[in-house]
Amino acid sequence: MTPRTCLIVDDSRIIRKVARRIVEGLGFEVDEAADGSEALAFCAGVIPEVILLDWSMPVMDGMTFLRRLRALPGGMAPKVLFCTIETRAERIAEALSAGADDYVMKPFDGEILTSKFAEVGAV
Amino acid sequence: MTPEDFDRLQNLMASRAGFRLTRDRMKLAEHRLGPVARREGFDTVDAMLASLWAKPVASLGWAVIEALLNPETWFRRDRTSFDTLAHELLPALGKARGGRPVKIWSAGCSTGQEAWSAAIAAQEAHVAVEIVATDLSQRALEKARSGAYTGFEIQRGLKAETMLRWFDQVEDAWIAKAELRATVHFARANLADAPTDDHRFDVIFCRHVLGDADPARRRDMFDNLERRLVDDGCLFLGPDEQPDGDSIAFRAVAGRKGLFVKSPAALRRAA
Repeated sequence: MTPRTCLIVDDSRIIRKVARRIVEGLGFEVDEAADGSEALAFCAGVIPEVILLDWSMPVMDGMTFLRRLRALPGGMAPKVLFCTIETRAERIAEALSAGADDYVMKPFDGEILTSKFAEVGAV
Repeated sequence: MTPEDFDRLQNLMASRAGFRLTRDRMKLAEHRLGPVARREGFDTVDAMLASLWAKPVASLGWAVIEALLNPETWFRRDRTSFDTLAHELLPALGKARGGRPVKIWSAGCSTGQEAWSAAIAAQEAHVAVEIVATDLSQRALEKARSGAYTGFEIQRGLKAETMLRWFDQVEDAWIAKAELRATVHFARANLADAPTDDHRFDVIFCRHVLGDADPARRRDMFDNLERRLVDDGCLFLGPDEQPDGDSIAFRAVAGRKGLFVKSPAALRRAA
C-alpha cells in the first residue's frame, strides 16, 4: 500500500519539524513548504491527501494559498487543516468558510493533531 | 514518601474509592500530592501524610484521594461510541421513550468532556436527553461544571466547527453554551457505593474507569451499574475494556467494541 501523503506548510522550521514527527507517526509520508507559494508550486505537481497550513507566512499567506488550491484541478480533494497561532473564533470561522476542513490552534501536541486527523477522516 | 506511606495510600484508595493504586504509580503519586500538600499548608508531602495518618481528617483524606484518581479524558474519546450514540441509540431510544428525555449517565466523568460530548451528540441527533454526570473528585466536578476549557483541552477531540457551534470563546477559555448546559447535571458520586434509590438510566458511559478498580470491588461496581441501567439500556465501556469473568451482569454487543447490554442472567434476576 502506498503511504498517504501530507504537506506541512509553515515558515517556522521548528514547527515543521515537530509536526512532521507527529504526522509521520500517523503513517504519512511528509513534504514541507515554507510559505503558500512554495506549497502551491508543490501542489501543481502532486496533490497531497492532507495539508497542514499555517496562516501568517511571508510571500503568500495560508488563506491565499487555500483559495488558490481549491481552484486547482483536484484541489478540492485534500483535507486542509489550518494550524496557526490565531485563536479568535471569528478568524476560525473565516478559515472554515474559506474551505478549511479543520483548524488547529497553536500550541498543539500529538494527541490534538491525532484527534483532528481522526475527526476529518484522514486516519 | 516511604514504602509504608505508599502501602497506606494503597489501602486508603482501595477502601474509600475502590481504586487500585498500583505500585508503579509511586512516583506519580508523589508528584500529584505535591500541589495538594502546598494547598493544604504542609511543607512536604511526607509531612502531609504523617499528619493524615496521625489524625485522619476527612477533607484532607478526600483531597489526597482525588489527586490520585486518573483524571485523563478528552472530547469524543473513542469517537465511534459517540457516533453510535448519535446515529443509532438516540434515535431508537428517543422513539421508544415517546418523546420523554433519554436518560444518560456519565459515570466517572472527570472534567466533563464525556458528558458534553454526549450532550452534543444528542443535540445533533435532535433527541431530548437528561444527562447526569458524576465523579468522585470535587475538583474535577468544579471544572466540569464550569464547562470552561483551554484551547489545548477544547481541540483535543473536537472539530473546530463543533467547537464554534457549541462553545463560546471568553478570553482564552471556551465555555459550553447554555443549550448544552441545560441538558447536563453534575453531581458527586462514588461508584463503589451501592445505589440507594431506584433512579435508572437508558445509557451509561463508564469508560476507562473500572480498569483502575480494586479487583475485589470490580464485580460489585459492575453490579451497581447494572442496577442503574434500564432493562433495554446500553452500557459503554472503553473499546478495550470488558466486564471481567467476575460479572455476569452484561454481555457484549457483537461488532460494537465497548458496547454492552444486560445479560439474560441479569434480566432473570430482575424478574
